[in-house]
Amino acid sequence: MTYAIETNDLVWSAGRRANAFRLDEVNLRVPQGAMYGFLGPNGAGKTTTIRALVGLLRPKSGRIRVLDHEIPRDIAQALSRVGYVPERPHLYPSLTVAEAIRFHAAFHVRWDQRWADDLTTQFGLDRHRRITALSKGEIGKLMMLLAMAQRPEVLILDEPTDGLDPVVRRDVMMALIEYVAEHDATVFISSHLVHELERICNWVGVMDRGRLVAELPMDAFKSGIKRLRVRQAPPTPGDTPFVVLAREASDGLSASEVWVVRGWQAPMSQWFEGVGASLHEVVDLDLEEGYVELLRTFRRPAA
Amino acid sequence: MFEHIDPQSPTPLYEQIAARIRVAVAAGDLGAGIALPSVRQLAQRLRVNPATVVQAYRALEADGFVDMRHGAGTFIKAVAGERRSQERQDQARQLVRELLASAARMGVSPDDLRHALKDELGAAA
Repeated sequence: MTYAIETNDLVWSAGRRANAFRLDEVNLRVPQGAMYGFLGPNGAGKTTTIRALVGLLRPKSGRIRVLDHEIPRDIAQALSRVGYVPERPHLYPSLTVAEAIRFHAAFHVRWDQRWADDLTTQFGLDRHRRITALSKGEIGKLMMLLAMAQRPEVLILDEPTDGLDPVVRRDVMMALIEYVAEHDATVFISSHLVHELERICNWVGVMDRGRLVAELPMDAFKSGIKRLRVRQAPPTPGDTPFVVLAREASDGLSASEVWVVRGWQAPMSQWFEGVGASLHEVVDLDLEEGYVELLRTFRRPAA
Repeated sequence: MFEHIDPQSPTPLYEQIAARIRVAVAAGDLGAGIALPSVRQLAQRLRVNPATVVQAYRALEADGFVDMRHGAGTFIKAVAGERRSQERQDQARQLVRELLASAARMGVSPDDLRHALKDELGAAA
């Protein structure tokens, strides 16, 4: 098994209407041991994809494999090895923290009570407090605790730090890093906090409008997308050794144009001389900028 | 030593971490036999993927800067003075490259740079 999570032409539809939301042939490849950041704007299909991975939605067609288990057929075996933090917590409000932990533990054969205890202390959770009385941050930490103490090989986290303050977010991330360091687990994490993913993830997948529009190692993603400042650019560039994602007149103050390109490598600067243009600047983009530029092109009506 | 690790930089995080350690060795801040933080400790401190720290340590091992002893940890190797000065020269070259790139962006000519550098070096001496 090379991939902890793999989907082949995964299709799902919210209904029969032609304009119903659908996942359109999603092919995910999450390598074993990766920390995979799953990006996309609201409504792109991240949560829908995740719900299909954990067997909560039945695909219309295509194939899903999690740790070599066929989903949804072998969902029980898969879920015994997968920790899942849903977008909206599903805890019984009348239970106390200790009761919620015990309830959850009963479903998992590999439950690590010692670690659950350690984390309860580390997260500063009051064992006797009822779920209804917990703050949003405390709920977030409890959800992570429940997912990790079952000692999963794969953690699937749907916006686990959404709406949490920076201190809680840091606590949660530190615990996650500690878990991964000890167990070599694979982590599949969706988040709007792109900078947070930029720090910890080594793979990136980008969803938009039900499609997976990019999937590659973080370093490749970041080094491949550049903003170029070009002068005397030919109106129709013809064959470029890189993919031009966007091309626009500069701020109007200078004669140069701004190009956003994908698949950039330094020797390609020679191409500009060949077409009589000159390349003035190559600007590196961080994950957020690269991601926004990428989406911009996928959203432009096909030329 | 790891204060300015920048996840938004185009330089991969593992390279940034390895570079910090190389600089510290070249400067003589990290002597032979000193143990580096464990992978887990450093990953938590920097809030990065443990695999990133492993990658940094492996790169340093390949360069002959550290020794990864299984189960015991990662230790700074004795680095010859010659190698340390080589490393400092590499770092100087890197600084100059960054300076040249910024200068080109701002339209500062090589002559302007030479003058400024001479002035500043004179002032520092």
